[in-house]
Amino acid sequence: MDDEVLNNTRTTDRGGRVSGPSEDAATSCALRRRDLFKITAGAAVAVQLGSAAVVQPKFFTPEEYAVVDELSEIIIPADEKSGGARAARVVDYIDKKLAEAFEQEERDAFRAGLKVFVETPAAEREAVLARASKNEKHPKTADDKFFRLLKEHTIRGYYTSKIGIHDDLEYKGNVYQQGDYAGYLPTKA
Amino acid sequence: MYQNTHEPNPEPDLSKTYDAVIVGSGAAGGMAAHVLTAHGLKVLLLEAGKKLNIEKDLKSMQWPYDHPRRGEMPPDDHALTLNEYTIRPRPYANGMRYRHVFSYVQGWSNSDYSKNIVVDEKDNPYTGTSYAWVRARLLGGKTAIWGRLALRLSDYDFKAASRDGYGENWPLAYKDLEPYYDRVDTYLGISGIKEGLPQLPDSLFQRPNKFTASELMFRQSLEKMGRLITPYRAGVTTDGLKHNKYRSKCFGRGACTRRVGGCDIHAAFDSPTGLIYPAMDTGNLTLRTNATVYEITVDKHSGKASGVSFIDTETGKTYQAKAKAVILGASTLESARLMLLSKSPQHPNGIGNSSNHVGHNFCEHLMGPSVLGIVKDLVGKPHTLDDGRPGGFYLPRFRNIAEKNPNFLRGYGFEGEGGMGIFPGHALQTPGFGKQFKKTVRDYAGAFIHMGGFGEVLPRYDNYVEIDPNIKDRWGVPVLRFHITFGENEKNMAQDMANQAQQMFENAGIQVIGVDRKLLTPGWSIHELGTARMGADPKKSVLNQFQQSHDVKNLFVVDGSSHVNASCQNPTWTIMALAWRSCDYLADQLRKGEV
Repeated sequence: MDDEVLNNTRTTDRGGRVSGPSEDAATSCALRRRDLFKITAGAAVAVQLGSAAVVQPKFFTPEEYAVVDELSEIIIPADEKSGGARAARVVDYIDKKLAEAFEQEERDAFRAGLKVFVETPAAEREAVLARASKNEKHPKTADDKFFRLLKEHTIRGYYTSKIGIHDDLEYKGNVYQQGDYAGYLPTKA
Repeated sequence: MYQNTHEPNPEPDLSKTYDAVIVGSGAAGGMAAHVLTAHGLKVLLLEAGKKLNIEKDLKSMQWPYDHPRRGEMPPDDHALTLNEYTIRPRPYANGMRYRHVFSYVQGWSNSDYSKNIVVDEKDNPYTGTSYAWVRARLLGGKTAIWGRLALRLSDYDFKAASRDGYGENWPLAYKDLEPYYDRVDTYLGISGIKEGLPQLPDSLFQRPNKFTASELMFRQSLEKMGRLITPYRAGVTTDGLKHNKYRSKCFGRGACTRRVGGCDIHAAFDSPTGLIYPAMDTGNLTLRTNATVYEITVDKHSGKASGVSFIDTETGKTYQAKAKAVILGASTLESARLMLLSKSPQHPNGIGNSSNHVGHNFCEHLMGPSVLGIVKDLVGKPHTLDDGRPGGFYLPRFRNIAEKNPNFLRGYGFEGEGGMGIFPGHALQTPGFGKQFKKTVRDYAGAFIHMGGFGEVLPRYDNYVEIDPNIKDRWGVPVLRFHITFGENEKNMAQDMANQAQQMFENAGIQVIGVDRKLLTPGWSIHELGTARMGADPKKSVLNQFQQSHDVKNLFVVDGSSHVNASCQNPTWTIMALAWRSCDYLADQLRKGEV
């Protein structure tokens, strides 16, 4: 048994332990995006897609970037309550996610699905989206499937953003509760 | 918060004979270290994983938007899915291109914070029947991310065989363990309210966590059925612990429910801050991490355990440690693996295995049946702070207590919660898009209530693990091969769980929008138990009531492998109460020179 363990260990060439990307890289990346957020959020000029000039997309072409930005805002628009996907920079979330995706197939599938929208005149895009959304429970066509994909990415990007969490949902948690906890205790029968 | 300086010792003195060597630093091993060092014994604690700078890993209060991937682990890491557990050949990670492959828990959101805690399946393979085996190798083991539901067992469990004729009784009763449950409560802290249920004895509670509006309504409805939900009995100190400077009281931040788990202020019990650092402060504990034990060594003359052999997980060097007593707390499956690996002329079937019961009677909690509903009155209401707590509610067992169910033995409980979380998961199921979609997501965010069952899986001899003759782990140690399937009792119970869950929601006026009836893959509950059970009869059990090997008097197995049945109540608190009792006994025996 001893020898077996030793032999096997000697022949293994796998070194290193479980580790993620360096924290420094992670932090600086988050900071960059927060800075960007300050520049774009709340500023009406963001609607002009001026951000496309500021942000260098990691995966999308500038044209694709602009279209995804527009589509995400159609899915979760600004309303009387809160900013929408555009203000929340959902396009940057999707762009980064696809740039980093492990499978090339994920990038290819998104780009292929997006193509129709890039080629559709801006005024007609919402109608195409509306058509694709009819079958979202049981998507059949490529457009149907792309709608689901885009919608899921938009939801994940928007509701993990500052605007989604704080302005729209007014989430109350992730705080230190001093004193009593929120909620109700049962009254004894 | 006190910054600990309890660094492990990379080169402990292995020339001396310790009073005890403990294998594993989770709930069981940590408790053994606490109790034995408090008795003044010199103890060596070996942990296979490393000591993480865990506060830095957990970052409990980080917002999703402050994380570069909104909390998700790197894209080249992969978590096994339910489907993969079913269809992929074992070992599961074989042939996968990902950098790291993890168990299913890393598929939950915010998995980046626990990626260094759970094991890489590539390094730690296993074979046999489908099994979702969740392991954590680090100082503290799975207590780093445990679910915190801290329940007592009762004589409905300890004496279950007398009640229904199935299986074996435990060789102890609730009254034997009650004082030790009390000690665990007091030393580690637990929150909850007293309910006076015979099947779920009350603890010595600190202040409780509270219900949300929907939970309170649900409790009131259940009263009419003679059932109840109680605020999550969390192994969390809500009032603080004067005797422990490493742990803060709970501030209801809720990080533990938003993530795979973990608490960076250690209000939730974890073994390092709750047990091991205080034990190190006695000066009696030596801690060696990165030490994977692969064999219990045997004294050729006496046949007793002489110590353990371990391998340094980073250098591959092997070492021997000597001790008067060997204590296994490596987890239900790893402790069984270690006993089966430790073959010698004196113990040809593996140490402590003359009964051929090591690895057998493998039991756990089935999961799968669950219900999701909407409380209509809460739709469109202003949002409240609902998730600032370690858990929602627990619905105790009600089957086979007063009545005898015709379709199955034993029982089940439910864990659940109502109210709003940080991420509106229902958005993914809400149809359409645009302003109406957005408003619907907002209006419904606080209206959902959900619960899922944990059912007792009966111990059966033919549910077992053994050593795979061919496959070895990264360190060259042979791995486990699983043989576990659910039987008729489990299937019938699961049907009843789903039916009752739906019925209870409907009775409360909750609009049911989903009922799951399928069983999840064995292992899903992370409550594996029973592979070295206690018993009065050495032919049918491995350990006596003090978790002492029938065959080898100085070998103790203080983790969940000793449990005689699974109960339906979560095991961690019982593991620690039993370990405390057994280590008191061991300390006494060592003093008398009888081990």
